[in-house]
Amino acid sequence: MHMANELLSLPVAGGTLAIAGGVLGLICRKAKQVITSEKLALMGILGAFVFAAQMVNFRLPAMPGTSGHMVGAVLLAIILGPHAAAIVMSSVIIVQCLIFQDGGLLALGCNIINMAIVPTYVGYYLYRIVTAKQFSNLRTYIGVMLACLIGIEMGAVLVPIETSLSGVLMVPFSTFLATMIGVHFLVGLVESLITVTVLAYIQQVRPDIVADNLQGKIRLSKRAVLTTFVVFTIIIGAGLSLLASGMPDGLEWSYAERPDQPNFKPVVSNNDSRIAVVDKLQSKYSLMPDYSVRSDGEDKKIQALAGWRSFAGIFGSITTMVIIWLTAWILRRNNPKTVAV
Amino acid sequence: MHHAHIDKFAYQDSPVHRLDARVKFIAAVIFTAVVISLPRTSFAILFCYAIGPFVILVLGRIPLKFVFKHILLVSPFVLILALSCPLYDKTPVKIAFGPSVFQTTVGWERCCTICGKFVVTMLALIALVSTTRFSNLLAGLGKLGVPKLLIIQLGFLYRYIFVLIDTAQHILRARTGRTFRNLGVKQEMKIASAMLGSLFIRSIDTAERINIAMHGRGFNGNWRTISRLKISNNDYIFGVLFSVFVISLYFFAVPVLN
Amino acid sequence: MAKAIEIKRFSYKYPDGTIALSDINLSIEEKQKVVLIGPNGAGKSTLMLAMAGFAKGEGEIIVNGLKVEKKNLKKIRTVIGCCFENPDDQLFMPTLFDDVAFGPLNMGFNTEQVKIRVAQALRTVGMEAMAEKAPHHLSAGQKRAAAIATVLSMSPDIIALDEPDGSLDPRNREKLVALLKNLPQTLIIATCNMNFAAAIGDRAVLVDKGRIIADGEAKEIMFDTKLMAEYGLEMPAMVNDTSEL
Repeated sequence: MHMANELLSLPVAGGTLAIAGGVLGLICRKAKQVITSEKLALMGILGAFVFAAQMVNFRLPAMPGTSGHMVGAVLLAIILGPHAAAIVMSSVIIVQCLIFQDGGLLALGCNIINMAIVPTYVGYYLYRIVTAKQFSNLRTYIGVMLACLIGIEMGAVLVPIETSLSGVLMVPFSTFLATMIGVHFLVGLVESLITVTVLAYIQQVRPDIVADNLQGKIRLSKRAVLTTFVVFTIIIGAGLSLLASGMPDGLEWSYAERPDQPNFKPVVSNNDSRIAVVDKLQSKYSLMPDYSVRSDGEDKKIQALAGWRSFAGIFGSITTMVIIWLTAWILRRNNPKTVAV
Repeated sequence: MHHAHIDKFAYQDSPVHRLDARVKFIAAVIFTAVVISLPRTSFAILFCYAIGPFVILVLGRIPLKFVFKHILLVSPFVLILALSCPLYDKTPVKIAFGPSVFQTTVGWERCCTICGKFVVTMLALIALVSTTRFSNLLAGLGKLGVPKLLIIQLGFLYRYIFVLIDTAQHILRARTGRTFRNLGVKQEMKIASAMLGSLFIRSIDTAERINIAMHGRGFNGNWRTISRLKISNNDYIFGVLFSVFVISLYFFAVPVLN
Repeated sequence: MAKAIEIKRFSYKYPDGTIALSDINLSIEEKQKVVLIGPNGAGKSTLMLAMAGFAKGEGEIIVNGLKVEKKNLKKIRTVIGCCFENPDDQLFMPTLFDDVAFGPLNMGFNTEQVKIRVAQALRTVGMEAMAEKAPHHLSAGQKRAAAIATVLSMSPDIIALDEPDGSLDPRNREKLVALLKNLPQTLIIATCNMNFAAAIGDRAVLVDKGRIIADGEAKEIMFDTKLMAEYGLEMPAMVNDTSEL
């Protein structure tokens, strides 16, 4: 659910960047006291682990033809504690942006809040609350489940909030919200199952790693899984699972969602007052005035002139780029230099 | 595309590669901010703005095929999202383009602008990261006030994602090699979590060995590096050219196109 | 000759109780080139870790006259440079320069001194042109050389290398042999490749199951057919000609 630049307005992007930056700064200062020099390398490697773990995909239960992968935020939070985990997840998201160009530069703030800060803290404290009094199989199990589910859900809910504040998207807020919640319910469910099984595996093989935060023995028994499935199936309901089938990725699906009713009326249309307010706000902050021609019965002549201008703008730019490229190509051909790779 | 080569172009040499990481980073942020704040109906101006990162890419000898392939790779998300616009806003609008006038809807107009902005900001981001070594970018970000702890984490991450992705690929290959038939979901989940678990434990072991290597080289908790960043005359020239480009488009191109 | 390393009745158990080293007695003289040979899991790596103070056990280890204990660790780690089996563990910084500079910076040298040391170390291993490269862009042989540079930059008196020949092709191995033979420091190399061991070592120490089985002139031990067969080691294919001269 990487947010892109284009879905955000400048004030929202700037605001979330400032919030994410401020929170991260605070966490880093706070974490300095908690993080020993021994933990530095561990945190770095676990960040890389999250990256690699996202490559290990598996088929999702209940939805044939789809595959999911791990998110990892809650797993890290349980093993490293929330501060360190938030830093690690943030660094994962920054690297995803700066090396793999996944998520925009200005959307970094949103992405860090949605996918690093919220899931780790919400997940960790939920887990601690459930397991506060004592550790038991059931409590640990429920704790991890809730942590993954709600942690991811809370992050996902922020996406429609941020986009609707920006006013770029036209998907009605309620539709968007409902689909995000629905889809991420499944994502969270898978995440929780994976997190529990991975934790159980680690506890079995290397109990020393999880000793502090995971007492007792966690085991994914057949009955527990079955019960979970029954409970969640009831909650999800048949409708959601029907909608969800056959879609390759939870997030993409939620954006592509649309009501296929013939009498559908856009809830938020261009004339909607909310959009108008946002537009007004946006044009206040944006550097460029509107230039494109709208069909409000304008003079045909002006229209034609504007048409030629935008034509010139586009083709002029393309020509410029082609000339630049050709020049570079010719120069390089005449003067072949070895390119150090 | 092999993952280890995703950043190979950053290790080339060209005048743009030699620019200071901080200058390029700030320029990319300002550029992206300007582009996303363009009103949703301004499509033609996006082409003008595209010239900027395009010049950087060409000067930096970044193959355009790589750039567009990469944009395509990360685009499905925005693409699907943009395509939802026409479904929700069917307000008719006339777009004049050259000699002809098109009848379309605001939704489509928005869709095109979102995609256009996506491509242009992506060009800028790729221009930044494929002409700047990540280590320099990190040093630059550190100088710009990003907390040291985060910088250290990013450094480790950059160093070890490639190592661990390799490991993950080996594990995955082993799975493909041994899976002959369609397993049940339960079995599949079991295998996946065993793979993730063993990947996790390998990561922990790696971390322990790195720890030993760090302390073996006298590390005592105080992280020190030497910054090799230097602002040169070329950086000032770039800064001036960049400002002229962005501002002149604002004062010159916008009224002309309007 | 002065003693570089002196190990007296050293024993070490893993946290789970398995005995890794038992009753090790070993003394290594300065400038000696010692190869630790033995099958996998014999305890060679643990022995090296113990020398650098990473494995606390019973008995005594003295490095350059300093007893290995907590208060001396900082000093000891500048005296003995350890390079572990997998260069990916040794090269943990985003660039080669940062990696090679890591040790000297921790030793408290100033920027100029560090730069000189980095340049020297990289020149010694023939990688001066690669300083700004990221480790994941290096080949296996280059990574190995780079890992050695990270300890050379600290100019230690003793260099301990764990399986430095692992995953190297013959040509890179030859280069490594040439590099190691020319290092003036005391060298301790753990390996299970006997050709490699024979090419470098003056002295060989055969380790198995945490004990020292044999210790002596490298060639004597490695050409002892019976001994080598008993511990599942191959004999060196031939005596390295240059080492005879």
